[in-house]
Amino acid sequence: MALRELSSLEKYLGLKKPNKYSTQGDKKVPVLQNNNGPPLLGLATIACHLVKEAKRPELLGDTAENRAVVQQWLEYRVTRLDSCTKEDIKIILKDLNLYLQDKVYLAGNQFTVADTLVYYGIHPLMVDLAVQEKEQYVNVTRWFDHIQHYPGVRHHLPPVVVLRNRIYTSRHH
Amino acid sequence: MALNLTINSSNPPLGALLAAEHVRSSVPVSVEEGKDTRLHISDSIQFNDGNSISRYLARVAPALGLYGANTMEQTEVDHWLEFSARRVCDQPGLTGALGELDKALSLRTFLVGHALTLADLSVWAALKGHVEWPSHGKSFPHVNRWFSFLSSQVPFTAVGNKYASKKAPMSKSNSDE
Repeated sequence: MALRELSSLEKYLGLKKPNKYSTQGDKKVPVLQNNNGPPLLGLATIACHLVKEAKRPELLGDTAENRAVVQQWLEYRVTRLDSCTKEDIKIILKDLNLYLQDKVYLAGNQFTVADTLVYYGIHPLMVDLAVQEKEQYVNVTRWFDHIQHYPGVRHHLPPVVVLRNRIYTSRHH
Repeated sequence: MALNLTINSSNPPLGALLAAEHVRSSVPVSVEEGKDTRLHISDSIQFNDGNSISRYLARVAPALGLYGANTMEQTEVDHWLEFSARRVCDQPGLTGALGELDKALSLRTFLVGHALTLADLSVWAALKGHVEWPSHGKSFPHVNRWFSFLSSQVPFTAVGNKYASKKAPMSKSNSDE
């Protein structure tokens, strides 16, 4: 899973030469054997490295505050999303829904690598949602639909159908 | 082909100015301040209405996709152009129009399709120049998010700073995040 994400990220970033990754331990933590340095360990670390390699530093945030927010969501992806249980799903979606109420992207008005990785991470949850649930978590759904249509991001994942207007308008979120 | 846009400096057409900024890379458009708003194409053809000017500019630069990606999206863009002209521009009582807009924006980042179109430019411009909008922002979260997202993008900041103050001296409260 993580390896396919990294190769999709490479394609999005326009990196010509695909890297070879291995995995470590039961949790299959990705490892990148770097040519000019020690091996890099972990999804978020490798993702940040790829972004720098592609010379797209703005994807890590353009201000000190935004850079911190991006790192926060990368950590959220690895610690919270990747180990979430069935009971966690509702809490995750509820919190994220509240957070995204007034934001287009996770870091506000600017697309960052956090959007890509959280999108990859939350995809398995979104696939299973019913139409009504998608409307209950309307801000998550809107953000998700925007990211899956963002040029060059979706790659290995199947699209999730999102209605363009609400059906259950009487329901308040 | 160089186009010439003259704008009424006491009531600048924000939507047309935004469209001109967006197409600038593919079609050169010069902007002059004057008495009346007018896009000069040839001696026999000129456009005076803000939306007509935007439409023309979007059509001479089709690669930018400002008019949507297909017939369906074109129709939607037309819908929002009319919406901005009839329901928002200089209309008293914005609540009804904002309610409708809020509903439409709940599942969308942009008004039409997945990218910027004339619909966004025109409705944003109509709200930006409206004296009632700043006091309504809080009650329509989806419109508010969409509005401040666009306001933070490059041509919008430039056009907003340069021209909006001339139109409505009170409309400077979109910076509260």
